[in-house]
Amino acid sequence: MTAPSHSKRPRLIHLLPAIGFLIFLVISGIALYATKTGTRQQTPTTSPLIGQLAPPLPELALNAEKEAPLTQFRGKPVLVNFMASWCLPCRAEIPALDTLSDDVAIIAIAYKDKLTDTEAFLQEYGDPYDAVWMDFDGRAGLRWGIYGVPETFVIDASGRVVLRHAGPIFKDTLEDIILPQLEQMR
Amino acid sequence: MILGDMIVPSSQANTAFNPAPRTQLVVIGSVIAIAATLFPTPELGHFMLIMAFTISLFQTLIPFAPLGQRRLPAIISLQLAAMALVAGSFAILLHGFITSDFSIALVSRHSHSLKPMIYKISGTWGNHEGSLLLWVLILVVFGGLFALTAKKITPFLATTTLAVQGAVSTAFIGFSLFTSNPFERLSPAPLEGRGLNPVLQDIGLALHPPMLYLGYVGLSMAFSIAVAGMITGRIDKDWGRLIRPWVLAAWSALTVGIALGSWWAYYELGWGGWWFWDPVENASLMPWLVATALMHSVIAVQKRDRLKTWAVLLAVLAFSLSLVGTFIVRSGLLTSVHSFASDPTRGVFILIILALVIGLPLMLFAFRAAIFETPQDADLASRDTALVINNLILVIAAAIVLIGTFYPLGLEVISGARITVGPPYFDASFNPVMAFALIGMVIGPMLVWRRGWRPGTRNILITALIGGLVAIAGGIMLTGVYSQAAIAGLALLGWLAAGITADIARTLKNNSIKTLGLVPWGVWLGHLGMAIFVLGAMGDGLARDEVNIRLMPGEVAPLTDRQYRLISIDQIPGPNYTALTATLRLEDKGGSTIATLRPEKRFYPAERQTTTEAAIRTLPTGDDYAVLGDGDDTRGYSFRLYHKPLVAWIWGGAIIMALGGILAGWGVSRSRLRSSEASS
Repeated sequence: MTAPSHSKRPRLIHLLPAIGFLIFLVISGIALYATKTGTRQQTPTTSPLIGQLAPPLPELALNAEKEAPLTQFRGKPVLVNFMASWCLPCRAEIPALDTLSDDVAIIAIAYKDKLTDTEAFLQEYGDPYDAVWMDFDGRAGLRWGIYGVPETFVIDASGRVVLRHAGPIFKDTLEDIILPQLEQMR
Repeated sequence: MILGDMIVPSSQANTAFNPAPRTQLVVIGSVIAIAATLFPTPELGHFMLIMAFTISLFQTLIPFAPLGQRRLPAIISLQLAAMALVAGSFAILLHGFITSDFSIALVSRHSHSLKPMIYKISGTWGNHEGSLLLWVLILVVFGGLFALTAKKITPFLATTTLAVQGAVSTAFIGFSLFTSNPFERLSPAPLEGRGLNPVLQDIGLALHPPMLYLGYVGLSMAFSIAVAGMITGRIDKDWGRLIRPWVLAAWSALTVGIALGSWWAYYELGWGGWWFWDPVENASLMPWLVATALMHSVIAVQKRDRLKTWAVLLAVLAFSLSLVGTFIVRSGLLTSVHSFASDPTRGVFILIILALVIGLPLMLFAFRAAIFETPQDADLASRDTALVINNLILVIAAAIVLIGTFYPLGLEVISGARITVGPPYFDASFNPVMAFALIGMVIGPMLVWRRGWRPGTRNILITALIGGLVAIAGGIMLTGVYSQAAIAGLALLGWLAAGITADIARTLKNNSIKTLGLVPWGVWLGHLGMAIFVLGAMGDGLARDEVNIRLMPGEVAPLTDRQYRLISIDQIPGPNYTALTATLRLEDKGGSTIATLRPEKRFYPAERQTTTEAAIRTLPTGDDYAVLGDGDDTRGYSFRLYHKPLVAWIWGGAIIMALGGILAGWGVSRSRLRSSEASS
């Protein structure tokens, strides 16, 4: 190789792209390994809210029919489900929420969403919710400390948070995590 | 290095029997075409693919062979043979789909004898295995096109480029053969196929993947030329002139491909939106952003022998992001509405390929980039600096998209939570960054190389400023929307339109059209296309009118300056589905008819799937868009009704941008021919 200026020495900064790519590879590799071995499933994540009284809901509801406050469900367990019309896993978890809605009240908090979009979402994918509150600016999301959407909190009869689940609820999550928790609270 | 060395003397070829590349291609192509016509069996297709794999492997190894002067002719022949073989293999698969040969497992899974011919054809790439073969086909065709012109380039650079391209081909033909063989037989052959996802039975989707792949894979040529440049250690003005048309061509195809995909989502998904920040969309946006930066950087390489480390890195990154985009989605790592094939076993193979095809060049970059660093000799106010800022903005924008797309994956690895970040994140971070790029589109062309401004710059900038102010005033008066976003958007729009037009007017006044060449026209078209795209996005974003409503036949849904009247709802049987069709009359406020729209909900019994068919009336001034939701005769039917002003210009602007890219690419390659003729 006869480069004209071989005297120039490699610089550390030029290693940055390779390092960035290595991080990407490691993360993808771990995720792939988890997918392959079947250990890739949703696990509940901790939250400082557990054991505390549930934080307040947003001020505005989707419409008058969907305006039930948390206090209305005192005395029985209730799910608080952060969702958004723009979120793909939120569409995927609607069937699971549908089956749940027969035995437990579900409150939706539409995170950073628009009224018309939330309405369209419920029309298109189904509406398992007893109440739908609009968190336009994401402030409720901050109070509840969510990573993103979807996330679901289980609130007990006294209004305390007992479980947090980040990620969509599929059939397996339903059977392994949510239903046992509800069973235990009965 | 003197120019004469760039051109291989024709006397070199006389050492042995060595016909011109074009003749070779005709001969090899004919042999393969005859074989494929006589025996169009999947076994032959499979065999051709194996041959192509072996040949590509040899192509990769040629630079290590003691062939001396014969290396370039040999590698050209191999590249052409690989191209012909993959083309033959793809033609055989296509034949299987056209004739509905259900003994091929792939055809039986993804086709149906009753499907219209156009969707039988598009079914070839409407699945993982077939689309991978199309991907490989485009890869070897680009290599072949390069091989046909390779004798005009320095032999060392041409040989190395083709060897790198061969290595990429080897990896992906291998991927196709070992994990996704499209030619597997099924015994006994079923009498009927299992159809195609009805959502995918669509003309937009039939064209979208080939265009997108043309862009993705087109970037492979830029990648190979860049890697070859790093290996040979010589990146100079000639290298810039060589790579530039390939970059422009790939960028144009990518632009059209993304636009087609967005248009498909707009009318087929029935959500009224045109961009959803879905992982698959992001996957195509990232290479586009980096390719845009690359497209601008190679100008500096060609004209000034500067920004060479940038150009090399961006060329490697652009293709890398294409690979990440095409293949991460397929590995099932990311959830998406688009992912039609996901299989974790393939994922391992994909990850290994990515590690080699991306990792090795990045390591090469780490050790060699210092050679291509050039002394800083430009002022702060210079086109050189402007291009660096342009690169930084576009790379940051790509990084924002990358983080938004892969953050959920990273979070899942760490905590097990599976979530999405969506438009709120991207709107807050991506849009402001890109706004700076748009402002720069007027300022950049005003600067000259090394230092200073072009004469008349002040007038143009003042014109652009006035344009911005006029647009704010006019836009707010027209739409009545008054918000920060509206003001910022309108100001940008006016700034772009006035600034670019003033630049064109000034340049045409001072130069004769004959001497100007094609490249400036390409630049203007590209920048104007961007302005027109912004116009469309603004019209839809700021002045959209929408209503969600439940209607009984006879009832009226009001929008701001028009109304919809539901005439009737009917069950209509289609060829392989039943449709619930609403007849809506679009009226003005006085009640006189403007048009009739018929949105549908289709149920496909064979696939047990329901699709929404939005009714869209497209005009240059705006779209009327109606979607039928669920409902029954007692409660009424729900509708989403929109008026979306100027929305069609989103795609119109993208097409104009792509035309600009093609024009500039054509201009650059013509100038290359002229200069190489002059030097020989």
